[in-house]
Amino acid sequence: MSKELIRLDRCTMVFDEDVVLDNINLNIQDKEFLTLLGPSGCGKSTTLRIIGGFQMPTSGDVFFDGVRINSVPPYRRAINTVFQKYALFPHLNVFENVAFGLRIPKTDANGAKVKLPEEEIHSRVMEMLEVVNLKGFEKRRTTALSGGQQQRVAIARALVNRPKVLLLDEPLGALDLKLRKDMQKELKRIQKAMEITFVYVTHDQEEALAMSDTIVVMDKGCIQQIGSPKDIYNEPQNAFVADFIGESNIIDGIMRADGVVEIFNRRFQCLDSGFEKDEAVDVVIRPEDVDIVPLEQGQLKGTVTDVTFKGMQYDIIVDFYGFKWLIQTTDLAPVGSNIGIKIDPDGFHVMKKSRYSGMFGDYSSYSEEFDEISQGVGDDEE
Amino acid sequence: MKNKLSWLSIPFTIWMAIFVVVPILIMAVYSVTSADGLVTGENFVGMGDYAVVFVRSFWLAILATLVCLLIGYPVAYMMAKEGQGFQRVAMALIMLPMWMNFLLRTYSWMSILENNGLLNQLFRSIGLISLYNSVTGSNIEYFQLLRTPGAVVLGMVYNYLPFMILPIYSVILKLDNSLLEAAQDLGANSVNVFRKVILPLSLPGVLSGVTMVFVPSVSTFAISRLLGGGTQMMLGDLIENQFLGGAYNPHLGAAISMVMMVIVVVCMVVMNHFGEGEEQAVML
Amino acid sequence: MKKNGRLGGRLLIGLCFLFLYLPIFLLIIFSFNAGNSSAVWQGFSLKWYGDLLENRLIMEAVATTLLVSLLATAISTVAGTFAAIGLYSLGRRRREVLLTVNNIPMMNADIVTGVSMCLFFVAFFGLWGGFAEWFNAQQSFLELPTRLTMGMGTLLLAHIAFDIPYVILNVGPRLRQMDKNLVDAAMDLGCTWMQAFWKVILPEIKPGIVSGALIAFTMSVDDFVISYFTAGSSTQTLAMAIYGMTKKRVTPVVNAVSTILFLVVLAVLVINNVREARLERQRELIAAGQPVRQSPIVEKVSQTLSSPKGKYIRWGGAFAATAVFLVTVISLTAFTSSQPVVNVCSWGEYIDTDLIDQFEEETGIRVNYQTTDSNETLYSLLKSGGADYDVVVPSDYMISQLLEEDMLEELDYDNIPNFDLIDDRFKYLPYDPENKYTVPYTWGTVGIIYNSTMVDEEIDSWSCLYDDKYAGKVLLIGNSRDAFGIALKYLGYSMNTTDENEIREAYELVADANRRGVFQGKVMDEVFQTMEGGNAAIATYYAGDYLTMLENNEDLAFAWPKEGTNWFVDAMCVLKDAPHKEEAEAWINFIASTDANLANMDFIWYASPNKEALEMYPEWYEEQYDEPLDEEIYNIIAAPQEVLDRCEMYVCLPPETRALYNELWVQLGI
Repeated sequence: MSKELIRLDRCTMVFDEDVVLDNINLNIQDKEFLTLLGPSGCGKSTTLRIIGGFQMPTSGDVFFDGVRINSVPPYRRAINTVFQKYALFPHLNVFENVAFGLRIPKTDANGAKVKLPEEEIHSRVMEMLEVVNLKGFEKRRTTALSGGQQQRVAIARALVNRPKVLLLDEPLGALDLKLRKDMQKELKRIQKAMEITFVYVTHDQEEALAMSDTIVVMDKGCIQQIGSPKDIYNEPQNAFVADFIGESNIIDGIMRADGVVEIFNRRFQCLDSGFEKDEAVDVVIRPEDVDIVPLEQGQLKGTVTDVTFKGMQYDIIVDFYGFKWLIQTTDLAPVGSNIGIKIDPDGFHVMKKSRYSGMFGDYSSYSEEFDEISQGVGDDEE
Repeated sequence: MKNKLSWLSIPFTIWMAIFVVVPILIMAVYSVTSADGLVTGENFVGMGDYAVVFVRSFWLAILATLVCLLIGYPVAYMMAKEGQGFQRVAMALIMLPMWMNFLLRTYSWMSILENNGLLNQLFRSIGLISLYNSVTGSNIEYFQLLRTPGAVVLGMVYNYLPFMILPIYSVILKLDNSLLEAAQDLGANSVNVFRKVILPLSLPGVLSGVTMVFVPSVSTFAISRLLGGGTQMMLGDLIENQFLGGAYNPHLGAAISMVMMVIVVVCMVVMNHFGEGEEQAVML
Repeated sequence: MKKNGRLGGRLLIGLCFLFLYLPIFLLIIFSFNAGNSSAVWQGFSLKWYGDLLENRLIMEAVATTLLVSLLATAISTVAGTFAAIGLYSLGRRRREVLLTVNNIPMMNADIVTGVSMCLFFVAFFGLWGGFAEWFNAQQSFLELPTRLTMGMGTLLLAHIAFDIPYVILNVGPRLRQMDKNLVDAAMDLGCTWMQAFWKVILPEIKPGIVSGALIAFTMSVDDFVISYFTAGSSTQTLAMAIYGMTKKRVTPVVNAVSTILFLVVLAVLVINNVREARLERQRELIAAGQPVRQSPIVEKVSQTLSSPKGKYIRWGGAFAATAVFLVTVISLTAFTSSQPVVNVCSWGEYIDTDLIDQFEEETGIRVNYQTTDSNETLYSLLKSGGADYDVVVPSDYMISQLLEEDMLEELDYDNIPNFDLIDDRFKYLPYDPENKYTVPYTWGTVGIIYNSTMVDEEIDSWSCLYDDKYAGKVLLIGNSRDAFGIALKYLGYSMNTTDENEIREAYELVADANRRGVFQGKVMDEVFQTMEGGNAAIATYYAGDYLTMLENNEDLAFAWPKEGTNWFVDAMCVLKDAPHKEEAEAWINFIASTDANLANMDFIWYASPNKEALEMYPEWYEEQYDEPLDEEIYNIIAAPQEVLDRCEMYVCLPPETRALYNELWVQLGI
């Protein structure tokens, strides 16, 4: 499975003195589902457009199957794209939209123009429409379709050309929540069925976690972390990743010894090692890893300042010595009550200090930040 | 706000009825009556005598429209590809000539095209005329440019070119760039992108441009008179002649006008059929 | 490759603009020409800009154009905006029907719109006349005018009618895009409906209104065709004035006024562009989080304007502008309506315009001086009811025709003592045997004008007009009477023959030459430009006009063909029921005076019918210019009797013959 298909080598992109991509190195394996994840403006779409051939990196190289393709135009790349707002041709019906790429004469090895026979075009289009569950829609105008259907036309239109790689630029951004969940499964299914590489761009961490084989977290034009969804969630490399993926309380700490971390002047057992003695670190504690215990049993003691009912659990904000934590629990603790908490050693994750240290992880100004990020509709980059 | 405000459309409806519909009805009445007030179809039958004028008008107008399209499309396309500042200046420059009376501008062409005009002087000084003479063995002092059908077509193209450029330009400008990228992504090189996406999508603009050039061209009367030297009578001249010219016969004039209106209606129907390009076209 | 494409694109756009602007540059350049030609450069001068202020015809035309355009724009912008709001509150079906009707004047050929409007006004005036007579007969309390004519009012109505659709078309999309909840929101927040309109709807659709108004104004200023059919005779827009002139010679004064107009608009556009560019840059700077620096003056002005006090300044400014505009309009109308007026219609460049001022000064009667280009056009204008002239100056045969149709008023010769000065040769002529209707204005002959550098033989016969030797170099005179008359004369027939065979033979002669490509074109007053520029070898035209051409091209020569030619008299008449008969007679008397005849003769080189003036002219000329008048020139102006003996005067042809002329003429033209 792990054959390298695309490699970005020290790619940098500069627009009008703005560094959009800063020295990116990225390997994409054959047949993997790779997601570029990050907030808007992080450079993920630019990366995608470089792979698609719509933009040339200011410096650095792009390799496809070992061949440098920097100046190969999009129409000569075995890569197809599903655009953010689908970009379906309004003057063509569903069938013709899907058939568009097939109708373009290809140049064969001898340099002669080859046109696909009409029967082949027809059968391939119909086959693809079946894959995306749009049989019977051939004659419809694309403007008369729902968002989900347009989405599937766009996917069919790209896949019918049998690309080696499919690029998807926030394809689900304009769909409602329910449809989005369905389409996530659908996309995953299609990827498995077609056995090709998907490069997926999104700012929705949940989506990324649910679908990807590999997630590339980006911010400010740099790759922050590359890894499987589990790695990314459990072992974030810095405060940005920890905060962007899921909810995190990030506290300044000191690594007193391997397996011993000190926060709030108290030592805790943890599983992390490999730091220098007394090194200053960032400590991540996921809200669900904190247990509420009676005051006297608590490793730390705090005051509940806010409680929100979230259906499956309560979001509780607790004040510990002036630092506010988010705790997700099924036990209700009323506002104003003093509680103790307990954290198991595997609840700690210790990270090296980075440029993001101190920027995230405090819930003293807790707002609906969570919702804001996960529901942000169709933000445009660049 | 519905309904409450709809009374505002009543004065407009009345106004339109009086100043648009009634005049056309009166014209229709004129077209089927004779000077004695009798109902007759003679006006339409009599038009047969002017078949040549009809043919010429249509022929020259079609030519002018084609030339406008051939020049206007690339210009509009190139303009839409330029930067914002460039586009703004170019738009202003296209609108600006309208502020100098079109008769005057057309008149100015006369001095360019005359036998001793600027163009012929230029040809003479670069030796084009003597070259022509030595090649063909003829002995001319100038090319006859003015008072030819070509001059009339030139006048039409000159006057109505902006009406071709503007609608095409505004349609191309509104094309979603991602559509072009999508086409490229699907394997279309720039020729194919143009042929399969840009061209069909700019068709509404082309159609409204074609109508906006063709209609005034086919009905022009001053241009043919100035540049055609009275030898290129067109429908507009014919109509003018029936109302304010030598051959006073408003009934025939009304009949010809009716025919022309039918042509326009046909054009409009065709356009409506093809899309909503027209609104954008006149909106600048 | 990309770079090349871009360069190529710019080159193409550049060429396109060169094409669009070449004639305009030429126009601007020739507005600084010292001579009056628009083809030959005679040195730099600003004289036409100076003349501009004194040229009443053009100044009035400019004023009319601006007034009509401004009024029509203002009215149609307000009306169109409300209509658009109304339209977009209607249901979809009804809206679409109305929008289709709205599109009619915009999509229709201008000439069709113009013609239908013209017919509409004529029909309305007819109905109104009947109604007013009936109404006046019923009661004596209020007297309604029975005779309405086209003029400023109809012109304005027509302009409003074709402007409104443009406004609606620009405002409509804005309304459609507007969030339907905005008004509800405003009213929810406590606005009354009116306040919601001012504070929410209007700002929201303002860009549409502005662009609609701009386009309406541009269309109004640029319009010629619709104005031409609806303005009648007494009102003239700049475009119409220019149309009149393009037939003869466009005076560089028009170039001057157009240049000024053009530069003003250019300046506005440049300012606007610079402003927009700056706004854009500001937006970018703001986006980049940088502070915006405005120039101190701009800052101050914008501060003042946006401060609470600025409100008064803004309102004051708007009020002042409105007031100035209204005062201008009112004073203009008052000025034009209070004075006694006489409406005169003549031919282009057919009067020494100083005479008009002189007459106005002496009598206090305002002269509304219009021109048309041929007897036939004049006839059509009179027939169509578009004209409200008092005095016209038709030629002999047209006078007979007008008399036949009872369109002229008898003159009271007691009011025209100067009639006695008219040479007896020009009284009691066949067109007015008892001389009850006319006072001669000028007389002259038709002859051959040729360019001696392009013709190396002695021209003495009409035959050269049909000669292959001059293929492509002959200008055929552009009216049927003269073109066929000359052919008849050449064939040895009478110019006034009613014999169909003779006329058809003449037609064949002309048509055959036409087929062989002898004629370069059919021209009327365009002959000036063409012959002066040396663009044709031979033309037929009036002797007086030859002398005007000679001033601009010394190579031109003149001849009376041996077969004989036409001599004509143009005479002043008053139209039936003319509203200003007394003033008209005063005008006729003034023009018939010796001084006026001398001035006119000197200006237009047509012979005077005033005996004294005709005889005095050589002396007067010497006195005026300190050089003797060339006898040859004098002879050309006032053809000697032996030439006149060979000539024939047109008489009015019977209707069948006129119809035949028309038919053949159309056949020739197509």
